[in-house]
Amino acid sequence: MERVVKTYEFALFIALIGFSMVIGFVKPAFFSISTIFNILDNSVTYTIMGFGVLIVLLSGEIDISFVAIAALSSYATNMLLLSWGYTGGISFYLIIGAIFGALLGLAEGLIVTKFNIPTFFVSLGYQILLYGFTLFFLGSTYNFNLPPGLTNYYSEFLIRVKNPFGAETSLNVPVLYLLIIAIAMWLLLRYTLFGRGLYAIGGDREAAKRVGFPVKRIILLALIINGILASIAGNIQNASNGYFDPTLFRGNDLNVIAYVIIGGASILGGRGSVIGVVLGVIFIQVLDLGVIYMGISADWQQLFIGLALVIALSASTLPSILRRIQE
Amino acid sequence: MKKLHKNSKQGFFWKKDIDIRTIILIVVLVALAMFFGFVDKFFFTFKNIDVMAILAPEMGLMGLGMALSLMLNGVNLSINNGANLSALISGLFLINIAPIFGGGNVVISIGITVIIAIGVGILCGLLNGFLIGYLKIQAIIATLATMIVFSGISEAITGGKSLTNFPHELQVISTGAIGGIPIPFLIFLAMVIIVYIILEFTSLGFEIQMVGTNPIAAQFSGINVRLVIMETYILSNVLGSLSGIIVMSFTNSVSYEYGTGTYILLALLISVLAGVTPGFGSTLGVFLATLIFEVLSSGFQMLLSGLNGSSFFTDFSWGIFFIGILIIVNLAQKVQNRT
Repeated sequence: MERVVKTYEFALFIALIGFSMVIGFVKPAFFSISTIFNILDNSVTYTIMGFGVLIVLLSGEIDISFVAIAALSSYATNMLLLSWGYTGGISFYLIIGAIFGALLGLAEGLIVTKFNIPTFFVSLGYQILLYGFTLFFLGSTYNFNLPPGLTNYYSEFLIRVKNPFGAETSLNVPVLYLLIIAIAMWLLLRYTLFGRGLYAIGGDREAAKRVGFPVKRIILLALIINGILASIAGNIQNASNGYFDPTLFRGNDLNVIAYVIIGGASILGGRGSVIGVVLGVIFIQVLDLGVIYMGISADWQQLFIGLALVIALSASTLPSILRRIQE
Repeated sequence: MKKLHKNSKQGFFWKKDIDIRTIILIVVLVALAMFFGFVDKFFFTFKNIDVMAILAPEMGLMGLGMALSLMLNGVNLSINNGANLSALISGLFLINIAPIFGGGNVVISIGITVIIAIGVGILCGLLNGFLIGYLKIQAIIATLATMIVFSGISEAITGGKSLTNFPHELQVISTGAIGGIPIPFLIFLAMVIIVYIILEFTSLGFEIQMVGTNPIAAQFSGINVRLVIMETYILSNVLGSLSGIIVMSFTNSVSYEYGTGTYILLALLISVLAGVTPGFGSTLGVFLATLIFEVLSSGFQMLLSGLNGSSFFTDFSWGIFFIGILIIVNLAQKVQNRT
């Protein structure tokens, strides 16, 4: 128990509860099932991408091309499946998309490992290349053409709850995928040689190499998984939107990395956890929803979110500053 | 995260012998210019070169500012939104306050506008430097937070609308020329030289290289690491502000979301292509990388002018060339190591 209490993730959890309390104190309407459902629904795709980011960060690399992989693989999947005359639901989308995502991740990983260039550098060019490819060669407009099985995806619910006023709130299906992927990631990081290898090469690459971890193969696999997770997030997001967007997630790359870092991952590698990613994304969602509940006008919301982030980040450094003063 | 090249001859040493990356960048630049000049005879017309010289600096200045932050093993994601904010504040001054007292004298009111923009840039840099240097928050999230703050301030002030109807004289900054060279390009050139002098010949430059390569060793050798970080981020954001002024003058408007998402990425592309790594950076590389990107975008825009979505192809080509040059530089360095 004491081990759990001392973790960063636990501190973040407490901060999250405290923060929700403040919002709920000002606006009691914040405490409702629909708020929880809302936050969960909004967190799904960012958390799934966040897991990919986590894996890459753990290995001591940084990738920002995952947003473009999400956009390209889902847009291409939709075009391909429509041309096949596919009429079913999302399952086939996830499978075909995952193949695209894996291939795109593999291509990136091969450039990184064959030429020994830091992933961050390659992914900078890779992102702009992939978005350019999608927009120029595949299509530059929203694609509202969906197979019949997918047209009502946004209204496929896992649970429906009636609140006291008779209105119905519901939780979307993708939350289930998130749960499955989260458990799979947790097992992968904790119980496989690959997972332990990620922490090892992120913590001290030279030492891991000497012990015998295949550094290049681990990075390659990390980027492939990153691509697969991005494609899943892309397909879920597009299917929930009801249209396929070639610029999906564009400009959100750094935000997702920031969520993962807020969740306790280190940008230098070797530190981070699955639960941290979940908490990091939820923290931002609560912040976003909080400013709306507080009744702050739309023009001022961004400023308040930014200030809250600055204050939260500054507060998180307090313990180490106090320690320094004590010494 | 980013490994230093073992045989890196940038920074300290590149004045002694030009390194291989600089040669590759020059070759690529000349080859691209010759290709586009050969395919399209309008490429080398005076008008096109003039347009390129006006457009390149806004990207180049941000690339230069980004390069400084990368040299400290950090990153300045707030540079674009800081630029928008400083353009906005100085723009508000130019529209609302300048006519009251400076009204008649154009030179003075535009001069004060530029000074205000630089002042806002200094304030932005102060906040970044404080969070990163003094509170020791990781640069990537600290500047992401300030990026949201800066764009939030701009949005709150303008209510999400863009600011237009500047006095006609403001356009002098982007359309004027001294001795045939457009003023934006002169500003860019001046800044490249100033940053070069700072990095090579001042104690701040030496300290940046020390802190970038090993902050702990720098701390123990008596360098005020926090102050160095503060000063560097101020410089970085001021370079962004200059870019903001040029954009304001060129587009004759200020929008709080101008360039959001794409400009940060381009600034990063330029400084990485220039070979900037923690502790090392060549301003000449930043200059060359900026020109390569400008030649590519201008060239493909001409070539594909009739085609739908030619700017998307430009993005695509940027990505290809960027990765291609990284690979070539890497292979060349391997060969150089062997010999």
